[in-house]
Amino acid sequence: MSWIKATTRFLHAWRYPDDIASEVEAELSFHIGMRTRSNIEAGMDPDEARLAARKSFGDFDQVKTECCEISRSLPVNSTVLKMGVYLILAVLAGGTALVTVNLPHHNLSGVLWQLVAIAVLARAFIVGRRSISTRQFASGIFKTKRERFHNDKVLSSDVSEKYGVGIAAHDEQGRTPVERMFK
Amino acid sequence: MSKAKAGLLQGTLDMLILKALFLGPLHGYGIGQRIAQISGDELKIEEGSLYPGLYRLERRGWVESEWDVSENNQRAKFYKLTRTGRKQLIIEEQNWERLASATMKALRAS
Repeated sequence: MSWIKATTRFLHAWRYPDDIASEVEAELSFHIGMRTRSNIEAGMDPDEARLAARKSFGDFDQVKTECCEISRSLPVNSTVLKMGVYLILAVLAGGTALVTVNLPHHNLSGVLWQLVAIAVLARAFIVGRRSISTRQFASGIFKTKRERFHNDKVLSSDVSEKYGVGIAAHDEQGRTPVERMFK
Repeated sequence: MSKAKAGLLQGTLDMLILKALFLGPLHGYGIGQRIAQISGDELKIEEGSLYPGLYRLERRGWVESEWDVSENNQRAKFYKLTRTGRKQLIIEEQNWERLASATMKALRAS
């Protein structure tokens, strides 16, 4: 019966990607907390213990992303089987779309069935799209505006360091470049 | 005598996790500790790499997990071996013994 649990977990991971991400984060944080505690018991001071725990754990974000990816991957190992599952899903979606288009809609029940089918397809599309975009965000393929801004800032500071361009946003007295021009 | 820490061979992590869980349910941190303990502190798993391994085993249905309260009253995710996992552990152990004896035979050949 374990494959049923694995499949349920996989479906849950696709349906609620944010839940899985926070669950993974809680689990990894627990690990770091335990390691920190053990380091403190070994005689380290709390800050040092926390740093050492982080270091011995490795790249937290990468591990988190990897765990989320595994949760969202199909619970079968064979590529042929995976392709088969995707094909079945595509055929089901296509079939539903065809039935929806060809449903008799000259009476009320027909129209209602058509609306239900459209709602099911739209819902499936939204869930699938959200899961995919969450996965891409988690793996860093796409970045939010804030992340892009941060990265650009890091990049431009790298460039100025490399070429020795000393443009500082604030001088020693805390003045911005504009204030420096006018005062 | 200086104790050289053995590097973990590819593919042995799954077997070690299964073995650690064979002795009873544990959370991720506990699994790392138990592996170090049963190997006489010779095998140290990179802590972060343990979790993708655990998730892979869970996806295959060899282990299952549930949230519970840990020994220090914190919420933790505990893993336990499934029936399929037990069977897999036996297969992995047999494969490992075969590989180890074949390697020894090759090394002792003159």
